[in-house]
Amino acid sequence: MSELVVDLRHVKREYLTGDVITVALADVSFQVERGEFVAIVGPSGSGKSTLMNLVGCLDRPSSGDVIVAGKNVKNLDDGELTELRSKSIGFVFQQFQLLPLTSAVDNVATPLLYQGVRPREAKRRAAEMLTRLGLGERLNFDRGRLSGGQQQRVAIARALVTNPDIVLADEPTGALDSASGEAVMNIFKEMNAEGRTIVLITHELDVAAVASRRVHIRDGLIERDDRSPMTAATR
Amino acid sequence: MTFALLLRLATQRIWASKLRSALTMLGIVIGVSAVVTLISVGQGAQQGINDSLADLGANQISVTSTTPDGLQDQDMDNIATIQGVSRVSSEVRSNGDASFEGNDARVSLIGVSPGYEAIATPTVGSGRFLPENQAAQSSRVAVLSAIAASDLGVGFDDLGSEIRVNGVAFQVIGVLDDAEGFGGGGNVLMTQTAARSLYAKSPYVSVINIQAVDKEAVAAVESSVESYLRVSKGFVDDDDAEFIIFNQAALQDAVNTVTGTLSLFITAIAGISLVVGGIGIMNIMLVSVRERTREIGVRRAIGATQGQILTQFLLEAVLLSVLGGLIGLIIGLVSSFGLAQLGGWDFFIDPGTVALALGFSAFVGIVFGVWPARTAGKLQPVEALRFE
Repeated sequence: MSELVVDLRHVKREYLTGDVITVALADVSFQVERGEFVAIVGPSGSGKSTLMNLVGCLDRPSSGDVIVAGKNVKNLDDGELTELRSKSIGFVFQQFQLLPLTSAVDNVATPLLYQGVRPREAKRRAAEMLTRLGLGERLNFDRGRLSGGQQQRVAIARALVTNPDIVLADEPTGALDSASGEAVMNIFKEMNAEGRTIVLITHELDVAAVASRRVHIRDGLIERDDRSPMTAATR
Repeated sequence: MTFALLLRLATQRIWASKLRSALTMLGIVIGVSAVVTLISVGQGAQQGINDSLADLGANQISVTSTTPDGLQDQDMDNIATIQGVSRVSSEVRSNGDASFEGNDARVSLIGVSPGYEAIATPTVGSGRFLPENQAAQSSRVAVLSAIAASDLGVGFDDLGSEIRVNGVAFQVIGVLDDAEGFGGGGNVLMTQTAARSLYAKSPYVSVINIQAVDKEAVAAVESSVESYLRVSKGFVDDDDAEFIIFNQAALQDAVNTVTGTLSLFITAIAGISLVVGGIGIMNIMLVSVRERTREIGVRRAIGATQGQILTQFLLEAVLLSVLGGLIGLIIGLVSSFGLAQLGGWDFFIDPGTVALALGFSAFVGIVFGVWPARTAGKLQPVEALRFE
């Protein structure tokens, strides 16, 4: 059990805003093994969103190597990067980001359709995933008729349906009340228990506490990599 | 994702914002309906003109003398022997005064030779046409054109009554039903013999009417007639020519050219409205791409390629445009049907017009949809997701 699904080596990411170069990530190296549940924790402006974009293959580093599922991002063109995202990454966003005018089941089926899965098969798998997450009764509801917690469960189903190497969740509880948030975190725990790799980005320590490993990031650098289970004392 | 699915996405989107889609299509709807109406009306009217020209006889040629003594009976006899000529007749023309029961009218006097009826095929509304037999040629009988009859107040009951032409009594034996078509002025037709006793000198004639064996023979006959006139009369075809040679086929060609040019011109103007409609679509698509930047970001994140995003937006633009074209086509066909009813010409659907309307609107959709669609496809996922 030492297969690396994420391998970042001396990653630097700078942004040019006008004439000013902003360093979002200064020099970050860290690895995620298959089956891990990692929380990336840091205050806003720490660089964690940049890190998420890099791990999620949405962005490329200014220097250093980002290797996701064995592929070095810097060698890939836009099409190959899209394919890598499609196969290896499942995104869960803070604001759920369900597609408009689209039912729950069609939202979940969409990533499969982009992969070229036949519509009937895609819909069947989407319905199955939604049913597992307790939304079997609401397959044909669009986002306007779903609560925040339900929308986030649809989003999680959409992230899981392609059976990705990594589920990447960006503040998944940020827009939810605490009960719904807790329910969502329980889903992640269960998913991890089934062997899925989960990378969670959050600024909330008690959300991060659910993960088995916490990578603290501040000012573009990894401050602490904490593998011990969090206890009440260290909280 | 297959083309069919992308098409369904585009359809859903258009259907979801019906009012906006309808307004976006409006320019194309107006443009296409205008083009369809104008082309259809143009074709209908042209058909109508051609039909009435054909009534007059597309295989006919007339030679008109601009001087009183330019043409003689002998010329008619000579022309009759030209290869390809099937019939000839002649007219002597003048202006005169006619009166009937106190009504006076200025009329054209036309003295026609036997054989005129077979070539000119006048439609007799009531009564009969002038006599053909030799014995009756000197009788003073007249046939009135519809306008002459109404100017003089000659009705159906007045057939057989006498009118006075330049003071001489003529018996009205027929009235023409020639309100349609050309040459519907106030004409009084009589036999050539009667005309010569009244106003014209023998053996001169004003017009020689020639009928060719068929339409294809017209050009050859015309050039033979021309060379006959050149040899025997020193005819030169210029602005001061003493003869005017005229054929219906040439007139028909001229009419076709005019209506063709006219409809091309009108179509060009209507084409401008299609371009304006296309710009309207482009504008809304650019707004749409901006509004849906987050959605594009999410789609890219969950596996949509640049090409799939581009296709989705391009299809939306093309669908809007083609739908507008279809609605415009229906409106155009309905309105040209109505106009055909009003104008009294035949309504017909030209498949070329239908293809043009739909093809052009699809073309407009592609041309004006490409830029917004490319903009959508080129959006960087990170930027798109961050877009507020």
